[in-house]
Amino acid sequence: MNEQTKDLSRREFFKAGTVLAGGVAIASSLAPYDGLLFAAESPGAKGKWYGIGIDINRCIGCGRCANACKLENNVPKDRFYFRSWVEQYTIKNDGSILVESPNGGIDGFKQSVPDKEIFKSFFVPKMCNHCAKSPCTQVCPVGATFETEEGIVLVDENYCIGCRYCVQACPYGCRYIHPEKGTVDKCTLCFHRLKKGLQPACFEICPTEARIFGDLNDPGSKINYFLKNHTCMVVKPHLNTGSKLFYNALSPEIR
Amino acid sequence: MPQHIKRLIGVFAVFILLFLVMRQVLKPSSFGELGHFRARAIYENTLRPMHYTVADSCTRCHKAIRKDKDSGFHKKLKCEVCHGPGLKHSLYADQFKNKELPDSLILYKPGERKDCTLCHQINAARVKILFDTINNTMVHQVDVMSHNLDDPKAKDAPKCIECHNPHQP
Repeated sequence: MNEQTKDLSRREFFKAGTVLAGGVAIASSLAPYDGLLFAAESPGAKGKWYGIGIDINRCIGCGRCANACKLENNVPKDRFYFRSWVEQYTIKNDGSILVESPNGGIDGFKQSVPDKEIFKSFFVPKMCNHCAKSPCTQVCPVGATFETEEGIVLVDENYCIGCRYCVQACPYGCRYIHPEKGTVDKCTLCFHRLKKGLQPACFEICPTEARIFGDLNDPGSKINYFLKNHTCMVVKPHLNTGSKLFYNALSPEIR
Repeated sequence: MPQHIKRLIGVFAVFILLFLVMRQVLKPSSFGELGHFRARAIYENTLRPMHYTVADSCTRCHKAIRKDKDSGFHKKLKCEVCHGPGLKHSLYADQFKNKELPDSLILYKPGERKDCTLCHQINAARVKILFDTINNTMVHQVDVMSHNLDDPKAKDAPKCIECHNPHQP
């Protein structure tokens, strides 16, 4: 070791130093494009950073959230277009899983499996997870969908070309192509209501307060209280989407 | 420098200039201000019309119902859960205090059995709510389609609201 250090001439020292400094400079200029750094960083460090909590134990599957979402946001009434919907998971005694969502739960649920065959059953309200590292915004070829500073994933209707790439990219199935506009449509967390200081329609309407919404950066917010008091989990955590929709009592069957 | 290289440089310069001019013309004005998107789209997203209001805008006028509801099991329920979005209804009422509401603004009055099934129809996934006593949330579960009913297809089947007051159940 000592011998090597001694042998390093002044010229070699400057050479090595320059290479090192240049390397650091180049690496830091490339940092914004580094996928690994991107995946590891935690966004939303300042300002408001909205998060959602859903308590599966409290959901009674009335489907009023799905109904309110359609009425508030003029979502087409057909059975294929949902920004927010409810699924009933039924795990039978033989281990098979049945997932039902008749019209997104808007018309109510009918128990299709007799009681004696059911091991357990629960309702799961679904909506956009407003991921911090959204796969859907990353694939947009024209920059028509983006994340705001508050962590809300929005669509620019006037700029979208309707290529459907983001519909495929979303691992939670939360996007659809609007049949009349021909552009993509998704949950905006009722951005128009948020900016007026109101809650999104589905949170406003939930009769059992199973849906909680708030600022993750505010230690006193409802969502932080909910997260502290429950064992919460996101759907598909292995995808590292940075999902901000936290479910209490999330069963591993839920996809 | 050889002649053909000079020409090539000229051709490249023309193409680059053309690209820059076209980019300037085609690029939306607010694109790139906050990222790879039109910054104005954030503002455009706030312009959508609202339909749902907040609960206290109903009880400003419907005071008697509020009194009923505050003492019943439905006290935590917002009016719009059952009656549907009522922003236009309340805005009209605020503006023209003594005028009759036009038909289009009269809200839905649920009364059929199917309206009550949404929450109260017995279902394996709903039963657990009965045990959630921490927050005193209990959703009463009945088989709505056979409760107090001999023939489910009879047209004169009694409605839920004939016995139960929905505002004070």
